[in-house]
Amino acid sequence: MKNSVCYDKAENRGKGHFLCFFWKISPSKVPENVLGGTSVESKLALNIIHRPELSPEYAERALGGKRDVRDESLDIFLFQQECAHNEGLKTTIQITYASLFSDKIVEIAKEHHEKFGDEIGLSLLGLPCKQFKEKYKTEDFCIWMFDEERKKQIVDDCFGLFFEKFGFYPESTGSYFLDAFTINYIKQKYPSVKCAVATCWEEGPKAYHTCNNSWYTFMDGGPWNPWIPSKVNSHCPASSEEDDCGIVAIPHLSRDLMACFDGNGSNFGTHPQNVLRGMIYYEDEKGTEYPYLYNLIDEYRHLAKYNNGFSYNMMFVGPGWLNKAGRWESPYSRLAKSYKDVMKYYGKLKKAGRCVDMTMSELADYYRETHPNYHRAECALWKDILYGSDKEYFWYADPALRCCLDFNQGGAMIDLRPYVARVAQKTGIGTENVYDASYPYLIQANYRAGYFTHYAGAGTVKSCKISYHGQTADLCLCRTMATFRKTEDGMEIVTDPVTVTLDGLKIVLRSVFFFEEGTGKALTRREILNDLCGEEVTFEEYMTGGFGTTEYQPDMTGIRLGAGEASMAFSYHGRSVSGMDGAFALIPQISTRIEMGGDADEFSAEEGIAFSPVYHLRARKKTSKGGIETWLKLQRAD
Amino acid sequence: MAQATKGRLNYRCPLCFKRDIDMDMFFDEEKGEYYCLRCCFRGSEEEVLRLNEQYKEKYGRLRERVVDFGADNEPPKFEKHKAGEQ
Repeated sequence: MKNSVCYDKAENRGKGHFLCFFWKISPSKVPENVLGGTSVESKLALNIIHRPELSPEYAERALGGKRDVRDESLDIFLFQQECAHNEGLKTTIQITYASLFSDKIVEIAKEHHEKFGDEIGLSLLGLPCKQFKEKYKTEDFCIWMFDEERKKQIVDDCFGLFFEKFGFYPESTGSYFLDAFTINYIKQKYPSVKCAVATCWEEGPKAYHTCNNSWYTFMDGGPWNPWIPSKVNSHCPASSEEDDCGIVAIPHLSRDLMACFDGNGSNFGTHPQNVLRGMIYYEDEKGTEYPYLYNLIDEYRHLAKYNNGFSYNMMFVGPGWLNKAGRWESPYSRLAKSYKDVMKYYGKLKKAGRCVDMTMSELADYYRETHPNYHRAECALWKDILYGSDKEYFWYADPALRCCLDFNQGGAMIDLRPYVARVAQKTGIGTENVYDASYPYLIQANYRAGYFTHYAGAGTVKSCKISYHGQTADLCLCRTMATFRKTEDGMEIVTDPVTVTLDGLKIVLRSVFFFEEGTGKALTRREILNDLCGEEVTFEEYMTGGFGTTEYQPDMTGIRLGAGEASMAFSYHGRSVSGMDGAFALIPQISTRIEMGGDADEFSAEEGIAFSPVYHLRARKKTSKGGIETWLKLQRAD
Repeated sequence: MAQATKGRLNYRCPLCFKRDIDMDMFFDEEKGEYYCLRCCFRGSEEEVLRLNEQYKEKYGRLRERVVDFGADNEPPKFEKHKAGEQ
């Protein structure tokens, strides 16, 4: 008797009833516009940001402050500016606190603003310098890690000094991460600010490990493209005008939505020296080549297809990355070449009408024009462009949730963040999160395993099992790909069919996922596509969840699980309850309630054990045709 | 024995890099070799460069350029990258 699954999508390709778009590009030519037109909406919106530093972090750390690199650092900034201007690209100059003490830099910024249209913004990076350390008596330098009073003092200090030097307040600011408290304070006190760099997408424990312990990397769980942050938690897109913090946030770099999720985030972004750091280049007689960098930019351009024509790139390389002494095994010549080359590519796209260079404040205006309501979701059907697999992820983010589906695992949900809960997660000294600014997950299949786990453990994932005659297959083991469709009120994504064979019975299945924008509700339909000749199979749609921001599960005591009329307090005994009217998990630690419902015969909720700190929600249905339709709803639980 | 120094370039430990850890190495001038503080790696510059090239093998599309992102349910189409072209 066989118990196997197979992947049979090839014959079904192109037969779907959904519109299929094709985007042809030639390596020697500038890629055609994804929508075929020349409308502003179909162009890549580009932010190039440079920051002059007089006390760069690399000099403080890597060189142990031994070399005086002030002139070198200024030269690097000027080199970066020149690379952009030579290609006809304007930039946003983010002035650091240390730079505000340099009349030379202030003059250069004013000159570039006049001559090239560059915006002069204010960065909250680059705080550590002699003046800062003497004044604040601290070695800390991450704005989100200070206590609230100190955050306000530093913001006022930076903005006040900026006004003194330039005679106006900036329209843009930023840091690696900006917490809601700091954004709200800045907007209230300096209303001219309308754009800010506010996160590095999917850093977190991975980046912490890679950097061999770097405490400013705990900030995953946010959007990958620009968004309007909530006043409560800056990771969450605002849900209404009342929730709108007043700025448009942009991520620090545009990152590979697969490579950064699977591995180290610092190697796979629109940052040429990150790509060198990842050794994603080859040597040729003509020099160093990095086609991945261009593929990455093009894949971001391709995302216009899924987002009403909106596509975006952000590039922000600090001066330390172009260190004259070389970095990441690369001599300065290679570092400089890569910077010139990427600017050349953006310049080429601009000349071909495929890209619009914007300053940060211009981007904020453009974003608000093109995103008129608060319920619109951002999504990305992301394909592997680096490793040579056929893996495909679907990323989705709206004000109520963020999630990722992995079609290499049949469309299993491998990441889920309950934005709807608006977890009021203060950061910095004096709060519960001194350094950890990541937004909590319910599912994170890499931190908390997924389908494949050790011994009696269970990993966080949402998928479906199909059983027949005592044999079971999990759709996590059915590799497929999927097709996207935008509907009036949401986004639908449909997998290519897969065939599951159980005790000789072939079951051809297709999964349909629907996200109702802004509601926190995600529907899943598992459809039987062939005639089972009256044989009944059992579907078990399940979610195995946890909560947290790292690999390690905080204590789950306090969670309440229920199904139908029955409920129980989580106590690590492996008990379960069942009922007919749906199942739920209430997680007070992150103010979240998860409900599962649908056309199932029975629902259940099960607690984990100490070895397996998770909870399970399940929906079961026995049928010979049709399939099973279930929904997951995330709500805020006060 | 003299203290170790940084080498000519900022070489990371190739073995730690394989497990996604950026660990700068130090150079032992007496033995003429790089070594890692975290794992047991030690080796010459040539050995480091050889292992770094080996590392790149995991990037199956390292030398390829996307020519067509294709339909949603298809993998992108690639061509060999032509050096000097973008």
